[in-house]
Amino acid sequence: MIEARNLQKSYGRVHALAGVSFDVPPGQVTGLLGANGAGKSTTIRIITGYTVPDAGWVRVGGVLASRDPIRVRQHIGYLPESAPTYGEMPVEALLGFRASLHGLRGKARKAAVDKAVDACVLQSVRRRRVGQLSKGYKQRVGLATAILHDPPVLVLDEPSNGLDPGQITETRSLIRRLAEGRTVLVSSHILPEIERTCDRVVILARGRLCAQGPLEELLAQGDHELVCEARFQTEPSAKEAARAVGAIAGVGTVLPREMDDGVERWHVGFDPATIGEGDLRKAIGSNLAAAGAEVRLLEREKASLESLFLRLMEQGPDAAQAGSAA
Amino acid sequence: MRALRTMWAIAVREFVALFRVPVGWLVLALYAGLWGGMFVQFVLVPGAPATMRPLFATAAWLMLPIAPAISMRLVSDELRTGSYELLATSPVSELSLALGKFIGAGMFLLALLGCTLPLVGVLLVVSDPMPDPGPMLAGYLSMTLLGLLFLSVGLLASSLTASQTLSFLGAMLALFVWLLATTAGRTRAPEAIGDILASLAITDRLEGFAKGVIDTGDVGFFVVLTGWFVLAASMCLGVRRWL
Repeated sequence: MIEARNLQKSYGRVHALAGVSFDVPPGQVTGLLGANGAGKSTTIRIITGYTVPDAGWVRVGGVLASRDPIRVRQHIGYLPESAPTYGEMPVEALLGFRASLHGLRGKARKAAVDKAVDACVLQSVRRRRVGQLSKGYKQRVGLATAILHDPPVLVLDEPSNGLDPGQITETRSLIRRLAEGRTVLVSSHILPEIERTCDRVVILARGRLCAQGPLEELLAQGDHELVCEARFQTEPSAKEAARAVGAIAGVGTVLPREMDDGVERWHVGFDPATIGEGDLRKAIGSNLAAAGAEVRLLEREKASLESLFLRLMEQGPDAAQAGSAA
Repeated sequence: MRALRTMWAIAVREFVALFRVPVGWLVLALYAGLWGGMFVQFVLVPGAPATMRPLFATAAWLMLPIAPAISMRLVSDELRTGSYELLATSPVSELSLALGKFIGAGMFLLALLGCTLPLVGVLLVVSDPMPDPGPMLAGYLSMTLLGLLFLSVGLLASSLTASQTLSFLGAMLALFVWLLATTAGRTRAPEAIGDILASLAITDRLEGFAKGVIDTGDVGFFVVLTGWFVLAASMCLGVRRWL
């Protein structure tokens, strides 16, 4: 439904996007992930037509954005970050105005407004000014404006930003409801939200693509990872032990996570075709014993988007792309 | 047809929005107050001919702070609050967007001029003989054309910055320099430049309207320049997509 190829965008000397390509398949909820400044908002702005890329192209529903931007914008319902809107307008008037921009009028406009009000549960505030509403309600108004013209594609930029936990839960279930029968691209850096909402993820780092694919497939990569926690006498001995573990045949990466009071925590990725989990445990155990460390934990990593994300961020986009090319 | 509908929707929203914010009412009060004061001072003079010509003759200077005050929020406010992102990602062309905003502001200008009509009523009641309606109608036409031209300059300024203050000051300064250069400035400039400045003089063209003469050349002058500034504003909005 959305195809992006080789997207490049610079703001002065800052390269916001450096050749990003990805797909958002129809009928799925795709999460766009990345740290602050990774290029998420720029990507979304290019897809929605707000910004033109320096190079590359975007196709939405088969229509090339550079060739027919108006038609592409008709396909998309968009909620920008922090849901900016006209605070002085009553909710109903705002929705009516937005419906008019999509060419709806008369009974069709009224029906579209009523449907959006019902879908986003705005009945109690439909006559109140948007500026007087709570952040959660403003977000719902933003979602209502995005679905007014019943678009096949929804693009949501940080829909949970600034909301309290209750509002986040409400927004999540609302997005899930609105996603039925639609293609949704949702950007966020709140990883549990993405994990609960999305079928697929696209991960960006420093303006480049780190990974993309079905969430389950990407998480399955984390199945081949052990978490190791051990107390060391000295820091050099910890580094030496990490090097030794890294040198074990079949071990891919040894990523130190944190250190506290002499306790080191590593994530050890391995290739099960080269070394079995049992053999690896034994090898790690002997290396740690040789370094004089006291092993506190050695277990399989529970696959989570957070651990995947952190691993990809540490590896960086170059390593990720080299890995995917290999 | 669809472009016209969306343009009209933007125009109506803009017009109504000016009555939903304090600045709209302040501009309305300021304009009505200025007109009222000048009406009492220069028109309602016992024994003087019943004419609003003194008001129309100074219209350009009176409109100088008013039009930028109306136009300053047209795009700048949207850029500041981020709501421009919603507009720019709607299926609306930049030209429809600029025209819609311009028409909305133009409708507000007509409302402002409408507020001065009771003064015409007062003049009709207290004058004997009755004032000539020709110069009065031509005067109001000139006010409308002048106001729309100034609004188009303000729209261009507003599309260049997210700051309403900068938009207001930029438009007012540009209009002030325009008026000054084409009045006092042209007499001091070399002949060739003076001729160009004279052809751009707004006040000269207003004098004809104030006498009750509607010259199609003068009307064309205002229409063409207004269209040019609105087009320039729409091009600025288009360029924003590349920044």
